[in-house]
Amino acid sequence: MKEFTINGTVMKCYPLTAAQRLHFYTIKFAKPQVLNIGTGLYIKQDVDFDILKQSVQEAIADFDSMRLRFIQDEDGAVYQYVIPFDEREIGFFDFSGWSEKDAHEEMTKWTHKPLERFNSAMNRVVMIKYPGGYNGIYLKVDHMTMDSSSIIEFNKRVLELYCAKAYNYPQPKPLQSYIKAVEHDLEYEKKNNPSHIKDEEFWKLQIEGDEPMYTDFTGPGRLITQRRESGNPELRSAVITSNTLDAAISVYHLEAEPSARLLDFCAENKVSMASLLLMGLRTVLSKFNNDEKDVSVKTNVARRGTLLEKHSGGTRIHFFPLRTILEPEQTFIDGIRTIQAEQNKIFRHANYDPIELTMKRAKYRKFTPGASYESISLTYQPLTLREKNTEMPDIDYKTFWYSNGVAAQPLYLTVMHRPEDNGLNFNFEYKKDVVSDSEMEFLYYYYCRVLFRGIEDKSRSIGQILEMI
Amino acid sequence: MFEELKEMMCNYIEVDPETITPESEFINDLGFNSFDFMCLLGEIEEKYNIHVDEEEIMGLSTVKDAIKYIEKLRKEH
Repeated sequence: MKEFTINGTVMKCYPLTAAQRLHFYTIKFAKPQVLNIGTGLYIKQDVDFDILKQSVQEAIADFDSMRLRFIQDEDGAVYQYVIPFDEREIGFFDFSGWSEKDAHEEMTKWTHKPLERFNSAMNRVVMIKYPGGYNGIYLKVDHMTMDSSSIIEFNKRVLELYCAKAYNYPQPKPLQSYIKAVEHDLEYEKKNNPSHIKDEEFWKLQIEGDEPMYTDFTGPGRLITQRRESGNPELRSAVITSNTLDAAISVYHLEAEPSARLLDFCAENKVSMASLLLMGLRTVLSKFNNDEKDVSVKTNVARRGTLLEKHSGGTRIHFFPLRTILEPEQTFIDGIRTIQAEQNKIFRHANYDPIELTMKRAKYRKFTPGASYESISLTYQPLTLREKNTEMPDIDYKTFWYSNGVAAQPLYLTVMHRPEDNGLNFNFEYKKDVVSDSEMEFLYYYYCRVLFRGIEDKSRSIGQILEMI
Repeated sequence: MFEELKEMMCNYIEVDPETITPESEFINDLGFNSFDFMCLLGEIEEKYNIHVDEEEIMGLSTVKDAIKYIEKLRKEH
């Protein structure tokens, strides 16, 4: 912790956490808007925009990470602080005469615009009159201040405050302190912290085990080419960086009924949806890479276990490599359980700095810069605006995630529930010079085939499923 | 141990502590997810100075199961 005098007031400022450093590291290699996240939440009903404005302002007052600022010291080290008040004016934009496509494109443009990094608000909220009789808010935040869980929590809070004011619904419960959560994270990072020492030992063993195998989401071509170019026919990692960072998002909507079947399967078999999705994804990668048994993907961990972590906003996601070696004779359900056990191990060591892990692995394996064993990063977001215990009327919603136009990795897949029907949306964010929209559709098609062939008969072997699809 | 465990659980989930019973299921009744559960186990390990096995704990579904498992580990320790 360090004190800075900002606008005549002495402020306590804290170093960045590992999750924030991960993002800060990304902007060294990409355009500044790579950390922008743009979202839209619109409800199908008339909205009193004065009440909505008050609700947004109150939600900003309640939500520490919406008032987070960054500052640099004389040596360039970055610190963070929370300003006590933020009485900004909330903008308004009327898209009601626009087509939905044009409105979407305009807000995507807003999302491309970088935010000022230091001593400035790291978000923008605009009240929106959306085409088709929907109304709501556009929210752009910097990923160093908030992640998808925080964004959902903020949007939920705005809705709850609106419903409390407009319809006399109960006031939402108080939130937790963001700074307290940061202090916990920074305490963990001290080198003599027992949990940190334990996690370091765990990840060292993972790094120094036998070498994983790279499996690309477009097939073995990339690895074959790099084996030829390097003159190393045994090469098991591949460089995944590319010439440009231009990205796009393709969203595929799985209908409510098949989505419910996946959820029911998880409940009946006591497995997590994240493990099922990882099993499906690793099986598709296996299929695309000559039935390879050794498949690794990056799995994102939200790190929101305690109530403090769940309700303090901020950005907490860490990513880790998840390696699966599954024999073709193993059943689908056995594969999921193996993955769940691996995930549980990762969860227990998920506070470890993922950048430090990446660096240590690259050094140990003597990687060419940009090399990896994982071609895809998967996030499952279980939170929605409609959770049990949430007092809200039954409203028709539309939610959107707008692309910021750049990506640091070739492919990020985020699977999230739609608030309107709990169906699953598969958001593929991909680098446009690496892959096309039609290739994403192809991947999604095979992904669904694996998932549904697997859940319709959980005793099917992986080999049978690979043959069937 | 039940009371201690209940207090720890309430750091992770929003339930009235009075509604937690030894028969409560972590996932179905109390709303734990895998990550919450793993964090809780980390806290239990530290408090009771034991080491839990990730594969063994996959069979624990109720609070009673967890107490039995922790007591077994404490005796072995």
